[in-house]
Amino acid sequence: MPALRGFLWLLGFWLLGESLVTLSGLPVSAGVVGMLLLTAWLMLHGGGFDDIAAAARPLIAMLAMLIMPGVVGVFFLLDAVASQWAAILAALIGGTLLSVLTTLWLMRRLMDAPQEGPHDA
Amino acid sequence: MPELLDHLLATPILAIALTLAANVAGIRLLRAVGAPAWCPPILVAALLLAGVLAALSIDYADYRRGAAWLMLLLGPATVALGLPLHQQMPQVRPLWRPLLACLPVAALLAAGYAVGIAWLLGAPPEILASLAPKSVTAPIAIGITEQIGGSVSLMMGGLLVTGVAAIGFVALFARQLGIRDERILGLALGLNGHALGTVRAFEIGPTAGAFASLGMSLTGIFSALFLPLAWRLVGP
Repeated sequence: MPALRGFLWLLGFWLLGESLVTLSGLPVSAGVVGMLLLTAWLMLHGGGFDDIAAAARPLIAMLAMLIMPGVVGVFFLLDAVASQWAAILAALIGGTLLSVLTTLWLMRRLMDAPQEGPHDA
Repeated sequence: MPELLDHLLATPILAIALTLAANVAGIRLLRAVGAPAWCPPILVAALLLAGVLAALSIDYADYRRGAAWLMLLLGPATVALGLPLHQQMPQVRPLWRPLLACLPVAALLAAGYAVGIAWLLGAPPEILASLAPKSVTAPIAIGITEQIGGSVSLMMGGLLVTGVAAIGFVALFARQLGIRDERILGLALGLNGHALGTVRAFEIGPTAGAFASLGMSLTGIFSALFLPLAWRLVGP
């Protein structure tokens, strides 16, 4: 049952993250703290985590589906914000266009400058 | 019929089955039509699901209560992203300096552009607060929205639009600017397009996926700490 053992690991790190978030009062999600703790733990141990991989791969693959129940809510909200639709869509799409462009430009400048050249393999 | 529906909705199983079915149908449909990569199956799946809920006249609140059981998995799934992140550490480590310089600026702009445009178009504060976490991954964004007084449903819709737009624009600009470096593409996808962009990045390759996970988590942490603070300072 490698997937079940791996899932238990993931739950353990989530619980650890939740405890840290609660105790510290930081406005960060338990999942993200758990992710960073898992990364740190894996870096310390270096190998032998097939169990975690067996649970992690399918979970990552269904990440998009897991936010769907929340996303669907927007279709039942149309009336409440009807007068603002144009502004909302312009902000989301225009804002994303600008921020994608800025990120790509910024990262290309910063990463190409002093580092070794981009790898194409 | 309404009695049967009420009975079935008493447990979360119907809501979970509908969500899985819509997801499978969305993927099948897109593959059958041969849709382009920027159109994620979740967009079609969400439309299908909304249609089914409306057709069966299931109250969204009832559906949401059942589907919350599925959304619980969002926690362990976020933790799971630590695995690809660790596997790509040798790639990430030599880049910590540019990453550290770029991420706060980019995360700030991702929120700032959208809020700025909406503000110029005269949107009220509640809508501005719902738009601010648009590039932040869902579990963190929910917390931020509640803290700064936005609508969680509107914010989730904003996440969907942002994710789809980010995937499309990254593909477009990558071609226009001739960027093929998986590290840059992955980072741009995760930073701007949260979980949806990260899923797309894993389709491009494992390096892009790891950089997207990194971009997504750092944007999330930075925004969670910074947005509520900025909101209090600028305060609408």
